[in-house]
Amino acid sequence: MLRPLVHFFLIGGLLFSAKAVYERSAVQGPAITVRVPADASNAEVETSVREGILLNEARRYGWDRTDPIVYTHLIRNMRFIEPDSEDDDLSLFRRAIEMEMQAHDPVIRARLLYRARKALSFVPEDRMPSPAELEEHLQRHRDRFEREQRVRFQHVFLSRSKRGETLAADAREMRDRLAELDDSVPSGLGDPLPNLRPEQSATPSELEDDYGAELAGLVQEGLVGAWRGPVSSVYGLHFIKVINQEPAYVPPLDVIGAEVRADRLRELRKSLAQERMAALRDAYRITIERTP
Amino acid sequence: MPRPLVLPPLLVALGLTAVACSESEAVSDTVDEFGRCADFDPLRQVFWGDTHVHTEISFDANMQGTRTTQDDAYAFARGEPIALQPYDEDGTPTRMAAIDRPLDFVMLSDHAEFIGTLDVCNQSGSPGYDSQQCVDYRAAQQFDAMPEFVRDVFVRINGLLNLPPEDAAYPALCGPNSAFCVDAGADVWRGIVDAAQSAYDRSDSCTFTAFPGYEWSGNSDGRNLHRNVMFKDDNVTDLPYGYFDAPYPEELWARLVGECIDADSGCDVLTIPHNSNLSDGIYFNERMSDGDPLTAEYVELRNAIEPVIEIYQHKGASECLPGAATADELCGFEILPFSNLATTNLERITPPDPKGFLRYAYGEGMRFESSLGTNPFQYGITAATDTHISASGFVAENDFKGHGGAGQPNRFLPPPPGFPDVEYLSPGGLTAVWAEENARDAIFSALRRKETFGTSGPRMTVRMFGGWDYPSDLCNSAELVAQADAAGVPMGSTLDPQPASSAPIFVVSAMQDSTSAPLQRAQIVKGWLDGDDYQVRVFEIAGDPNNGASVDLDTCAREGEGFPDLCGVWQDPDFDPAQRAYYYARVLENPSCRWTTWQCSTAQYECSDWDYAACVARKDELLPSDFSCDCCDPATGLRPAFCAEVDCRDPGLLLEAEERCCHQVEPTIQERAWTSPIWYQPPG
Repeated sequence: MLRPLVHFFLIGGLLFSAKAVYERSAVQGPAITVRVPADASNAEVETSVREGILLNEARRYGWDRTDPIVYTHLIRNMRFIEPDSEDDDLSLFRRAIEMEMQAHDPVIRARLLYRARKALSFVPEDRMPSPAELEEHLQRHRDRFEREQRVRFQHVFLSRSKRGETLAADAREMRDRLAELDDSVPSGLGDPLPNLRPEQSATPSELEDDYGAELAGLVQEGLVGAWRGPVSSVYGLHFIKVINQEPAYVPPLDVIGAEVRADRLRELRKSLAQERMAALRDAYRITIERTP
Repeated sequence: MPRPLVLPPLLVALGLTAVACSESEAVSDTVDEFGRCADFDPLRQVFWGDTHVHTEISFDANMQGTRTTQDDAYAFARGEPIALQPYDEDGTPTRMAAIDRPLDFVMLSDHAEFIGTLDVCNQSGSPGYDSQQCVDYRAAQQFDAMPEFVRDVFVRINGLLNLPPEDAAYPALCGPNSAFCVDAGADVWRGIVDAAQSAYDRSDSCTFTAFPGYEWSGNSDGRNLHRNVMFKDDNVTDLPYGYFDAPYPEELWARLVGECIDADSGCDVLTIPHNSNLSDGIYFNERMSDGDPLTAEYVELRNAIEPVIEIYQHKGASECLPGAATADELCGFEILPFSNLATTNLERITPPDPKGFLRYAYGEGMRFESSLGTNPFQYGITAATDTHISASGFVAENDFKGHGGAGQPNRFLPPPPGFPDVEYLSPGGLTAVWAEENARDAIFSALRRKETFGTSGPRMTVRMFGGWDYPSDLCNSAELVAQADAAGVPMGSTLDPQPASSAPIFVVSAMQDSTSAPLQRAQIVKGWLDGDDYQVRVFEIAGDPNNGASVDLDTCAREGEGFPDLCGVWQDPDFDPAQRAYYYARVLENPSCRWTTWQCSTAQYECSDWDYAACVARKDELLPSDFSCDCCDPATGLRPAFCAEVDCRDPGLLLEAEERCCHQVEPTIQERAWTSPIWYQPPG
């Protein structure tokens, strides 16, 4: 969504370019007073302070007078107050501004906070990640991109609904047959299920979703080369032989580059917002006023 | 004394705005050969997906306050929680949602129309910025906009889709030749394709597949003809084509064929029709859009580009209508009491038209095949959510948060009391495909060959094959799939020619969702062409329709036994080799609570003083926790005593509250799966 982003980037630029003027001229940032309830916790005070800063920034750049939603909202307010007025929208808007209606309206407050927060997370092009940075990101956050371990295993199933009362006896018999089986795939043994295969590769999570925790746990134990079971699921009884385990791994960047880039950008937006908020927090002179 | 302000070089942002989204450092995304996944199976495995999901990009979703993005919709599908409207005064979302299990694949399907318009309306200085539509749109975005106003703005802007095709045009705000909106829409489309690229797992773990796509949303006079457009990969057309670009389905298909399939660029695309139930019965019209009779060329085009159809989603089921053509007591599942999209949006009860349902389409398709040699309605089956809150695959009846859409204001604090969505709507369903691996090529191919089935939500797995000489004990074979596949055809196919004077045999194997209710029964629905008439008959092939399973409506606890798996081999007892026929499987769970009943079973409500008119009048004044207006409403089906004496034969004589008894939803449902049919064509 390029156009809205450009819109917000522009806003972001305006917001922080003005702040940079403070830096160059070594002038202190604005002073604001934040009113909080007398019993407000430290966290609540901090939230109020941050919102106070963002609202002040938004107002300093005139968004409370120029934002299209604020504009429309003020006109609606005025037409509610003065239902018989024949003034045009612009006149009503100007009158609302003269009355400082925008300073106290909760809807306008929410809108200004929304815009300011969007501006905080703007990513300029010179911060867009390079391939080297993406590789570094991948290595630094391997856990985020790690693929779950997989287990290749053989599977024989006995259906509870098909075998009914003979299920337990059939399972004992099947265990004996499997013990005599060589390493070949156990084709033709047991009962069918539409998604059951005599040999497959799956992650423990997938198996838990399909057959429940008991079977997934058995497979995850990873005892290779021996028939295990039976273990129970809602469907019946299962025998499992693990063929091999493929450990969890992180795919290389040339395979999952797009995924890594998207993750890095999400992180970047968050950290930029935090950095910028912290910078603003430092620059501002805050007076806390606790009200009963 | 505050420290001097230390800022990163943010000033450069001002100078970089024109190229702020440059992808100059893009990385390679080329690993996608068939067979790359660790778990590849030539006999195919089941993968679960949702091919109908809307995010903030869709106009109607945006109007109802959806602020979740395409990235959010993909994250949700992979199992991450997302935050939902309504928002509080600070713009903070007040609800969370998470899917119980990840999906395997997703296609996000934001409406193509108005994609650029939203951008135009949000940019001061754009040519259309001061147009009435944009002014209205922005006003409706306000946090305190009245629901009636939001609805009104939605209807007036979205109403452009109701205009007849010959009048279809972008809003005037889009400027000369609609260039401004087209231009903006192209940007959004590139973002959609990029988001799918980022979400697609290209490692050999193949955990998640994402397809770029959108929804074409033509509904002239409110008659829904919507289609989702699904591309195989990032090789896509330059623009997403909506109703204003291609006002007739034929025009959409022609553009997709010309600019994608025939472009010799590797591009491939298909369209997925949906909500034929809301088309006033025109979805499977016997004529082309220009009024001429169907031609063989038209039929071939439609058949090629439109292999599957949504049988069920948030806005109702489209399988069959109770009482129409054939006795089938299970046709009453999630039938909306509306005939088209406009009456649905306005909640104006209008009887649906049986011609908008698949049973009709399958029958008509065989008739056309007799005369034209090709079947225009030979659809495989899918199902989806059509969520408008980015909650891909969020089908839980016991955790329904409302999928919204259609301008439903669902963003206010406090939230409206009672149900989170219109009582007639529902969580929708899922699509399952039988594919070799969880990758784009394999899943797209499965959709093309119709080896798919849809469910009403639970992940019950169903496999169906048809052939001529399956053994009667095939269900006892551990190698059922390999044998059935080798000696017959899977769901979605046409039977091989009859080898001798035998009747076709079908095998249906099903397993319940391990986290849902057990199965009750498996059926085969047979339709056939007898002369010029088509007939339907339903056969029970496994399970027990009279197993006595029920639900405690106070607690939603399920009662009674069922089957964890079912299998049946069935030979058509009435087969006539001279008659065209189709066969599909329908598998049903034991009964369970519908979402409305779940909401009421956990809510406090008291019906002794319930008054429908008073509820309507003071709905906005009720506390969020007050469910009495919804739960006491006879439409929920939870007050059988109230409705016992109501005679629906002449609704004009009824009080408004009594009339609600005549349009009840089911307090309990039987979740189900529908497979793609297997068709039979007589020789010659």
